[in-house]
Amino acid sequence: MTSQPHEPELHPLADIDTIIHAPARLMVLAYLYVVDSVDYVFLLRQTGLTWGSLSTHLTKLEEAGYITIEKGYRGKKPHSTVRLTENGRAAFRDYKKSMQQVLDDLPD
Amino acid sequence: MSQKISLKEAERKVFTSTVQDGLWDILIGCFLLEFTIAPLLSHRLGDFWSVAIFLPFWGLVYFAILLVRKFIVKPRLGEVTFGKMRRKRLAQFSIIMVVVNLIAFILGVIVFLNFTKIPRIAPSILFAFIILVIFCLMAFILNFNRSYLYGLLAGFSPLVGEWLFYKYGASHHGLPITFGITAVIIILTGVIVFVRFLKNNPMINIVVNQNDQPAA
Repeated sequence: MTSQPHEPELHPLADIDTIIHAPARLMVLAYLYVVDSVDYVFLLRQTGLTWGSLSTHLTKLEEAGYITIEKGYRGKKPHSTVRLTENGRAAFRDYKKSMQQVLDDLPD
Repeated sequence: MSQKISLKEAERKVFTSTVQDGLWDILIGCFLLEFTIAPLLSHRLGDFWSVAIFLPFWGLVYFAILLVRKFIVKPRLGEVTFGKMRRKRLAQFSIIMVVVNLIAFILGVIVFLNFTKIPRIAPSILFAFIILVIFCLMAFILNFNRSYLYGLLAGFSPLVGEWLFYKYGASHHGLPITFGITAVIIILTGVIVFVRFLKNNPMINIVVNQNDQPAA
């Protein structure tokens, strides 16, 4: 049984980046897209995610090369800074473009 | 288009979250206290020293606010470095403020040199207009909406002061009363917002496992 080829107008859907497409990761990337860098507490406050959930999503995004996490110390306390990489920025832009194309092509 | 709007909103939300701790309000209120107390001190200290005496006061308030921000606000809110768009906007704001203050200074000198030739209400109208412009620019450029209301309160202060002076003979053109009320309202708003900020943003205890080293 062969899979049906995609309808031409739905082609962009197949190209959607699934790493970005998850709502929580999309939210994290949207915040990182508009700032230079943030720390964990700021991301927790803005996204409303739990620490466990945020940590999991950040790890996935870091593994994909979309963000960098600089782990350091502020005085004696650990302090980590999260930043979008150039790859991440480009991927987010592509995602935006693809989603816009898909949604614009859908009939009302 | 909707993506564009939501990203713009996200950026706005990020910025406004950093100015919603009430500390800006307290700083602005303390700044306006000058117009309340300086006229009362001018008889004893003279015009220059009655204003100059506020410089160390502002310095102390500003230093206290920096400390509060560092040790109380940042651990609760987290830290953010703004993106290019916001940094550009903040730079624009600084430039516009310098230009507006320069224009205000020039107009002030013109009014001072022609004090006897212009209507007596003119300096108050000019003063009110400049205050309103500064606060409205702050509200618009920095997305600090409360500043519109503060602009109205502070802008009307010299005008209402003049009215109190003509109608009831209030001393110092009524400025200590009107600016005093405005400053107290703004400072109290700041204190309420700050208390609400502390209530809504308790310290976050991040439990990190050994493999996932640092926390916030």
